[in-house]
Amino acid sequence: MSNIFPKSANKLPLQIIIYLVVFASLATAGVTYYMTPKYTRVGYAPVQPVPFSHNLHAGQLGLDCRYCHSNVDKSAHSNVPTAQTCMNCHNQIKPTSPLLAPVRESYENPAKPVPWVWIHQTPDYAYFNHSAHVNRGVSCVECHGRIDQMDVVKHAQPLSMGFCLDCHRNPELHVREPADVFNLGSKTIAQKSGADAGMKFVHDWNIKPPQSCSGCHR
Amino acid sequence: MKRKFHHPESTERELSGPKYWRSLDELADTPGFRAQLEREFPQGAAELDNGDRRHFLKLMAASFALGGIGLAGCRRPEQNILPFGKSVEGIIPGLPQYYATAMPLRKAAIPLLAETHQGRPTKLEGNPTYEGHGGASSLLAQASVLDLYDPDRATAHTKAGAVIDAKAVEDLLANINRTYAATRGTGLAFLAEESSSPTRARLVARLRTAFPNAIWAEYEPATDEADPAGARAAFGRDVKPIYRFAAAKRIVSLDADFLSAEAGSLYYARSFSNGRRVEKAADSMNRLYVAESGLTLTGSMADHRLRLGNSQVLALAAALGAKVMNNPPFPVSLAEGLNFKNQEKWIAECAADLQEHRGESLVIAGAHQPAAVHAIAYAINAALGNIGKTVEFLAVPASTAVSISNLAGSIKSGAVKTLVVLGGNPAYNAPADLDWAALQGSVGEVVRFGYYVDETSLVKPAATTQIAAAHYLESWGDARTVEGLVVPIQPMIQPLFGGLTENEVLARIVGEANADSYTLVSTTVAGLAGRPAEQVMTKFLHDGILGGSAYPTASVTFNAQGVGALFASAAKAPALSESNLEVRFVRDYKVDDGRFANNGWLQECPEPITKISWDNVIQISPALAKKLGIEPKGSALQVARKEENEFSIGKENARIFELKVGGKSISGPVHIQPGLSDYTVIVPLGYGRTVKHLRIASGAGFSAAPLRTTAAMHFATGATLTDTGKRQLLANVQEHWSMEGRDIVRESNFEKTATSNGNSYQENPAFVNTIGMESHSPPIYGAEGGKLSMGEKATDTPRGQSLYSHPNFDGVHQWGMSIDMNTCIGCNACVVACQAENNIPIVGRDQVARGREMHWIRIDRYYSSGTIDAAAFGGEGNKELPEDPQVSLQPMTCQHCETAPCETVCPVNATVHDDEGLNTMAYNRCIGTRYCANNCPYKVRRFNFFDFNQRQLDSLYMSQLGPKGMPELVKMVKNPEVTVRMRGVMEKCTYCVQRIQNGKIQYKVKMAKAGDHAKTAVPDGTIKTACQQTCPVDAIVFGNILDKESRVSKAKAREQDYAVLGYLNVRPRTTYSAKLRNPNPRMPDYAAQPLSRTEYDKKNHPAGHEAHPGAHGGAGESAAQPSHEAKKEEAHK
Repeated sequence: MSNIFPKSANKLPLQIIIYLVVFASLATAGVTYYMTPKYTRVGYAPVQPVPFSHNLHAGQLGLDCRYCHSNVDKSAHSNVPTAQTCMNCHNQIKPTSPLLAPVRESYENPAKPVPWVWIHQTPDYAYFNHSAHVNRGVSCVECHGRIDQMDVVKHAQPLSMGFCLDCHRNPELHVREPADVFNLGSKTIAQKSGADAGMKFVHDWNIKPPQSCSGCHR
Repeated sequence: MKRKFHHPESTERELSGPKYWRSLDELADTPGFRAQLEREFPQGAAELDNGDRRHFLKLMAASFALGGIGLAGCRRPEQNILPFGKSVEGIIPGLPQYYATAMPLRKAAIPLLAETHQGRPTKLEGNPTYEGHGGASSLLAQASVLDLYDPDRATAHTKAGAVIDAKAVEDLLANINRTYAATRGTGLAFLAEESSSPTRARLVARLRTAFPNAIWAEYEPATDEADPAGARAAFGRDVKPIYRFAAAKRIVSLDADFLSAEAGSLYYARSFSNGRRVEKAADSMNRLYVAESGLTLTGSMADHRLRLGNSQVLALAAALGAKVMNNPPFPVSLAEGLNFKNQEKWIAECAADLQEHRGESLVIAGAHQPAAVHAIAYAINAALGNIGKTVEFLAVPASTAVSISNLAGSIKSGAVKTLVVLGGNPAYNAPADLDWAALQGSVGEVVRFGYYVDETSLVKPAATTQIAAAHYLESWGDARTVEGLVVPIQPMIQPLFGGLTENEVLARIVGEANADSYTLVSTTVAGLAGRPAEQVMTKFLHDGILGGSAYPTASVTFNAQGVGALFASAAKAPALSESNLEVRFVRDYKVDDGRFANNGWLQECPEPITKISWDNVIQISPALAKKLGIEPKGSALQVARKEENEFSIGKENARIFELKVGGKSISGPVHIQPGLSDYTVIVPLGYGRTVKHLRIASGAGFSAAPLRTTAAMHFATGATLTDTGKRQLLANVQEHWSMEGRDIVRESNFEKTATSNGNSYQENPAFVNTIGMESHSPPIYGAEGGKLSMGEKATDTPRGQSLYSHPNFDGVHQWGMSIDMNTCIGCNACVVACQAENNIPIVGRDQVARGREMHWIRIDRYYSSGTIDAAAFGGEGNKELPEDPQVSLQPMTCQHCETAPCETVCPVNATVHDDEGLNTMAYNRCIGTRYCANNCPYKVRRFNFFDFNQRQLDSLYMSQLGPKGMPELVKMVKNPEVTVRMRGVMEKCTYCVQRIQNGKIQYKVKMAKAGDHAKTAVPDGTIKTACQQTCPVDAIVFGNILDKESRVSKAKAREQDYAVLGYLNVRPRTTYSAKLRNPNPRMPDYAAQPLSRTEYDKKNHPAGHEAHPGAHGGAGESAAQPSHEAKKEEAHK
């Protein structure tokens, strides 16, 4: 009986193993890169119903974040302003602009809220609290990036669990003076006066960011 | 390059997020919503049974294919943020708001604070401004928020079955007003429920003047206040008693379940516990004597409990009265026919104890007892000088309502043309001899105001107008607490289905100019306060109480002549036997008289004594069971004691018996209940609803209404029980009744007596250390452990005898809990409070029967009889069911062990400790191996065997093939601060971690704003767990054990505080304060130590091996117990 397999088939097992290893490595690398928030979320910049420019309002006009996001220091949620907040100015400025039509409509008719697209969305099982951060030296810019320079808001940071923990493990590198929290161009204490100053601030303020599950998951 | 996503336009539905009450009306009319409503619990979902295997595989293949195609699912779904158009004052998205309101129930409302999230009420707490409840609330109040979102409630006004709009209802009511204005009300009749609302009283008074000929009748199937005739006869005026339990050292209850069934039971439970609580040996403790027919929560707290038929309570009252008083104002012959063991001595010693505590004793009779019993109780209280001290009488307005029998007479005579039924459900629960359904059917026009389309609505739909009632959380209203304080009922939300309030309906009929609910209430309140509404209402609504509005205390003197007439007609106690049984109809702990029968939280909550959920049962005594030939099998090899009932694979396999009284009969499952009077049969009301679309209520239990007659509403004699040969499986959550002589609940007698032998609490307050494994094993925390404080033990984690060393806890707080079993009355309010707070799903009867209930906290109920044989099987003492058991109740929930056995076995680190000592569950990590539940010594972990939140309860086993999704209405009750868990994850008590985190954050924010940044330790009392907050008796204390001044640290420092199963070295953060009993050494049934201790001794120190308290050194846990150490040192020398 002649051989069914040619001699070259002797190498086949080794080849299969090599291919499998290569494939597995590629798959792992692919998943690690493409299926993490770093890739899927960062840069996400959906078209909003009203082309509101943070660059213009917060950057050039210098409005404080809290003029619109008025409850960010009180509540877990940073509220998106009501149409009434927009109309405080826009009943004088550009009162007839077609771009502001959804805002005017919402102001007149409570059944027609402006459908802002939610960008910075944490999963339902993660309970992030804005007030706990902005009152304790964590600036908006740490998670949201230079919103004041964005015409269209985009997702600047991955907001993954690893991202959160980076800061919770080393808060001294990320805290700012209370006066700088809403100043997105400001420097952290560590950048201004060195890591030791950051450490001192963390110590003086008794900042102990939770690293246990219960800190965020309930 | 910037990526731009163009999303499709949001649909109408997506945009209608935060305005629930506006869209739900619309939503309710869409076909999709209707279909969903109908699908929620369809009867007999048998799709899978009908399909063959091939069909099933095809479906599976299709769903896999769909799964492959649906790669779009990888993207996170697009969601919108929908801010208000105009800002709403006070609303901060993400922060809850609290409003004062009250839950009305008969004549005693419970003041509440409602927590709302963006306009949705999700949780109710007691209003702390009202001192009588101190911020606590009851089981029913906790569950009532679910009724608001009941998909089965009446969703529209209908006339002859057709939907009519609000305008048509207005016209109809105005028409009634016009029609009867001419006849001054002749032909118009009302049947209402009892109410404490001052506004309703005002409108009824208005009705009396506008329509003097109209009939106003009130009916309550379950009574919770004493017959006013008793007080009227005794004191010559309309007064009602209010009891001051805190001031009473000796309490005698004559069949009164004042801890759960009487009006104001919450108020009473709280003050009773204040007289019961013992923190140190020098404290005093009240003593409770209870004579009762069934085993109630009050009876389970008794120090001396006498089993006695209802019909013999009058005789006991007379016998006791004759001993206490020299010239009793009643014939002594009333006491004839009384017959129980050691009768003379029992009564004499009880009376002597009362006489030794003149002015600080209290006799209370059950609301269902006839006026004669109440008159005797008042006489005894008067003779003992208790009036004005432990019992006060409040002047109350006399009721002008006629009874349902009078109304029935008028209907029969044809005098009623229009019948307005305001609430209630007479067609279901009116006395059977009235034949209410036929009577109601004979009336030409029936206007039915009700929350559900129920039996009464369906009597004769063609002639009936159904007006949908608003829930109290949707209504403006007012009510009075038990002592008469006026409290507001505020709406939290617009009526979801356009329901009206009772006051609105009544006001339109009497022709009130402005029938708006708020105006009606503010007018009443302004009238009561004597000031204009705008000056009163703001404070009234803010405080939730109208100060100074309580009923005035009346100074009363007992009038011996007045009561004579009551005794003339008093019946002699009949001799009871198995052919002349006595039936007692009791208000159910959970569904009351049936009004809460469609509430899934309540139905699933186990009955506190029988531990059965979803059904009612005919309770019979073990003695009667024997006579009827029911012999529970039990005594399986694993179990040393006889079972109280038969269980097959965890399900109670009950026999169905037919119960016959006076020619009428019902049949239902029989449950053998230790502690019942031998020939009394207990039948809870409120079950056996026949309306199919009430999906929770229908199919639960049987109705006792056919047996009730006007003459015997609360108990009847002459009943018989016969076996039907059928069986029914019941969902009983606790199979076994005995602790088997273990030290789970540690108990002691309170007082030092001649026979207490050093075992009483007063002699040895640290007695808990002499019981159990720890008293023999080496000290858990090592020899030094006794010197460490609670907080140091938590942060230093001394290795002790442990094989391992443990990492220290370094959080700012260390959380701990202490549960006082001495005051716990087992009311189950904590169980439902936890369910409401933590989004715990309902699993249904079938799953409960399989042991898959999801409650994070349960209350274990143990009986002890003192008879136990150390020999495990077949010992004589193990063969009998207890007749006179002592009851021990123990709330059991996650103990947050510092060295938690669950954590070491979790393969994915889903359950781990946090730095503040919480045993946390990360749901999104859990893969559902259930190893943790296996390894938990307390059995407090709960597994989501199904997606209980997303799937219909009767199609759980269809898994992915069944319909999915939570009804819109049910979504609204969920607490947004807590994850809604999915199938396949483990869950358990978290110490309300959401409250802890939010409490900490809010405190930090507050301090940061005040410039005090370094302060992060939350002050004691800021954070309360849901169970603690609702506990009527303050049995649960939670807080930071690092803070030596915190309430929990003090509670844990009590000498009677111990860890359950502490010898396992799991170091639980939840500890228990031992239960104390305070029996009278002169009583014939005095036991020198609690029966559970007797069992413990018999089991652990069998005959010939004398109890040797000295040899039990204590585990070195307590500095007060150094004997072990001392002996060791001696040995070293």
